[in-house]
Amino acid sequence: MENDTIVFHGTLQQLLEKVEFGEMIPKLQASHAPMCKFFTAYYVISGIRHVVPLVHGPTGCPLYMSDFVRTRECCEIRGVPLEPTACTALDESHVIYGGEGKLLEAVKEAYAKYHPDLIVILSCCCSGIIGDDVESIAREAEKLVGCRVLALRSEGFGGDFRSGYEDAFKLIMELMEPPTTTMKRTINILGARWGPSPTEFNWDMDELERLLALIGIQINAIIAGGCTVEQIRHAREVELNASWCYDWGQKLGDLMQERFGIPYSRTGQPYGPEATKEWLLGVATPLGMEQEALAVIEKEMNEVEPDVAYLREALSGKTAIIEISEFPGPIRALSLARMTSEFGAHPVVINVHPYTIKERMPSIRFLLETGVNPEIILTKGLFRLGSFRSSKETEEELEAIVREYDNPIFFGNSGRFPPCPVVNLTLMNPVFQPQYGFRGIRNIAALVRQALENKDLPRSRLFRGMLYGTRTR
Amino acid sequence: MEHGHDNEPAGSPHHENCTDPYLRCAFNGAAQTALGVSGSALLAHSPQGCEYLVNNAFASQECDYMETVTLCTKLCVDEIVHGGEEMLARTIWEARDLPISVLFVISACGPEIVGDDIGAVCETLQPEVKFRLVPIQSPGFRGSQYDGIDIALDTILKRLVKKTSEKISDSVCLVAPHANANPTWTADLVWVKQALSRIGIQVVATLTHRTPLSEIENAASAETSLLLSHDAGQHAAEYLRAAHGVEPICRGIPLPIGMTNTQRWLTALGERFDAQKNVEEMIGDGERMVTATCRRKWPMARFLYRTPAAIVADATIGIPLVRFVTEEMEMTPELVALYTANRPVRDLLEGELNDLGLSPKVVYGTDVYKTRMSLLEVKPRVIFGSTIERHTSEGLPVAYVVEVVRMMRQFRMINREYFGYTGILNLFECVQNEWIMGWRSREKRYEAKW
Repeated sequence: MENDTIVFHGTLQQLLEKVEFGEMIPKLQASHAPMCKFFTAYYVISGIRHVVPLVHGPTGCPLYMSDFVRTRECCEIRGVPLEPTACTALDESHVIYGGEGKLLEAVKEAYAKYHPDLIVILSCCCSGIIGDDVESIAREAEKLVGCRVLALRSEGFGGDFRSGYEDAFKLIMELMEPPTTTMKRTINILGARWGPSPTEFNWDMDELERLLALIGIQINAIIAGGCTVEQIRHAREVELNASWCYDWGQKLGDLMQERFGIPYSRTGQPYGPEATKEWLLGVATPLGMEQEALAVIEKEMNEVEPDVAYLREALSGKTAIIEISEFPGPIRALSLARMTSEFGAHPVVINVHPYTIKERMPSIRFLLETGVNPEIILTKGLFRLGSFRSSKETEEELEAIVREYDNPIFFGNSGRFPPCPVVNLTLMNPVFQPQYGFRGIRNIAALVRQALENKDLPRSRLFRGMLYGTRTR
Repeated sequence: MEHGHDNEPAGSPHHENCTDPYLRCAFNGAAQTALGVSGSALLAHSPQGCEYLVNNAFASQECDYMETVTLCTKLCVDEIVHGGEEMLARTIWEARDLPISVLFVISACGPEIVGDDIGAVCETLQPEVKFRLVPIQSPGFRGSQYDGIDIALDTILKRLVKKTSEKISDSVCLVAPHANANPTWTADLVWVKQALSRIGIQVVATLTHRTPLSEIENAASAETSLLLSHDAGQHAAEYLRAAHGVEPICRGIPLPIGMTNTQRWLTALGERFDAQKNVEEMIGDGERMVTATCRRKWPMARFLYRTPAAIVADATIGIPLVRFVTEEMEMTPELVALYTANRPVRDLLEGELNDLGLSPKVVYGTDVYKTRMSLLEVKPRVIFGSTIERHTSEGLPVAYVVEVVRMMRQFRMINREYFGYTGILNLFECVQNEWIMGWRSREKRYEAKW
């Protein structure tokens, strides 16, 4: 494909090599700003029940997270009670004279006010730069209150967004006590985030729990998606760790395997029949429950056979142009690439940000090892300054790319207007959730059917104008 | 009743070590103010996380992403250790072709602590870019979002307003309309502008909402300033008076929420601009419209006569609500918890309570914990507050939580004012919808046959 708007066209393997050598990373400072380390650490820690995340900093950092994660996501949508987000509210005098004394008092105050099962001190830019020793304060404070007090260095400037997740998961390991028994046929699910309820997308986790229950496998803790401190304490008593998403669970899974000898099931996201089978067998086989799993898989496959047959027929010979712009992580895009390939389509993944490839290097390598190596296209608009310009340009580039392929079908969301059927995989519409597992197959078949059968219906000029302004060409 | 320090930053709970705040930091307030200037862009000199506070400010000012660009220097360890001035200069240089009149550079905690001189960087780069560079030093640790609004207004006024001895007669400069917890506060601003227009008063500048640079430059030509917040903007009004002779008006009067407050506020305007007759007509028309509408729609708020109520809000909405809830809706405020704690807020609230003969529990500079404890103590049956109070009051015998500030359960495509006469109806509507939801059957007594 010859096009002056394309800056990379090759395989995932080739893109990974370029990223490893420092190429393809945007030079524009303003391009692509994911969350900071503090935010992601907060995500994980707030996923433990009855925890006080005690933010050692000014009020801006915790409040954004408490509004967004706590009140909106957890209380309003996920039916969990309002739990505290405490803060030391550092001001100029603390920046000059230090805030350790205030922090120690804050821990005592937090314990007296909220009676939590755990307090986690999260440092942010201010306390990190002035050098407040949060770890020592945590050790000191723990002697004065009736619960564990841990500290996490989570300064926003201190690492990329991934490091916040990983450091928080690592910290949680400190709560895991030596096993006194083994919980048979029981696993932990690792890598969950976003408040005291399982994972970002409840439906996907619900589907995994349903399938595990059918096989006869128990879950001790979903770490950290609404688990209790008690469940974390017993986390080493399980037979196996698994992840709802290989990428997010990978670090904690590897560490628990290395340090505690608990095996970790390495499988990708369960999109489509093959990946779902792999996920279930990856958990069941080490537990000696392969036969039970195969029986469940057979039964479930029978139920979704019409959907699988439809997807094969609908996608065979097509080019699946895949873009996940809503949550621009590459892992879901790659999982979809694998699924569409399984149904006979040729997947082309468009505009996964190289920055996100860099941050997910171990997981991308794993996916390559398992044979996931789709065609990738990156365009100039991806690196453009300003979200509107970037969004408008990538839309125009997407439309141009789609025209180059025979029989294309777009897997992304309805915010795009390519001249081909659009499969709306948005995670903002609960109607077609989950996307994981066998129920996911059914939903994806329904989405593909909607896309193909209604491909000639007019698209919204209103939404297009809202997103991209008046059409210029 | 709790007492804070008179000169502490607004809403800053200094006396506590551990707080669960309602208010964001100064960086957020400064961003909210800067993004109210049209034809501008904002560059956050900060790590990437602070960009999310900018996004929040962007939404609050209802910016259009086709028009307003926000940038971030995305500082990492290197810039904290070695300084981030070079990175800032590079980012300004990258933005040099943006079609804007002003680029606001706002520094966050990290670069301020390590001593990045954003003023010097802007001064050095100024000759190389076509737009004005305005550095605003407003790191989060400088205080609450209201302090940030004051810091940004101070910088904007000192750097951008032109000196003039000529005044436009019957004119006003509107100050801090955005320091208002009505989630669609821009409707309050629209109402104010319409009311002023009807009285014959010209708005010279709005500090800030969709305000072009030229308006800000001319702010000193306003005869008067009108503060549209009880939480922020007082320093700006005072500066305009001291530096440019712009007379602050309608001081010491609650903002126009409810019949009596609106009447008082409009009357003060009429007296200042010698437009009493015009104002009397406006009041008459407005009150007749509200009364006639209520006669046709029958607001259920009338059934809540002397029901114990709590008001948990910013001072801008919270203080005027005290009279509205007591007088128009005939409930009994038994708890007033305000996010801020400064002296003018205390004076204004205490004046209102004395005038009304009320003695509720009052909490200044409240946080989520204090609110919960106060609700436990007072046990109101109705709360005027935010989504947070809906969850904070769980387990208490609260019948209705009327979400008037920072609401998450409701979505408004059309902005609705609380100020003025339509504002009264909007607030009645909030009460009515909550009342209806409160009556909705949770379960059916038996199943239908079909």
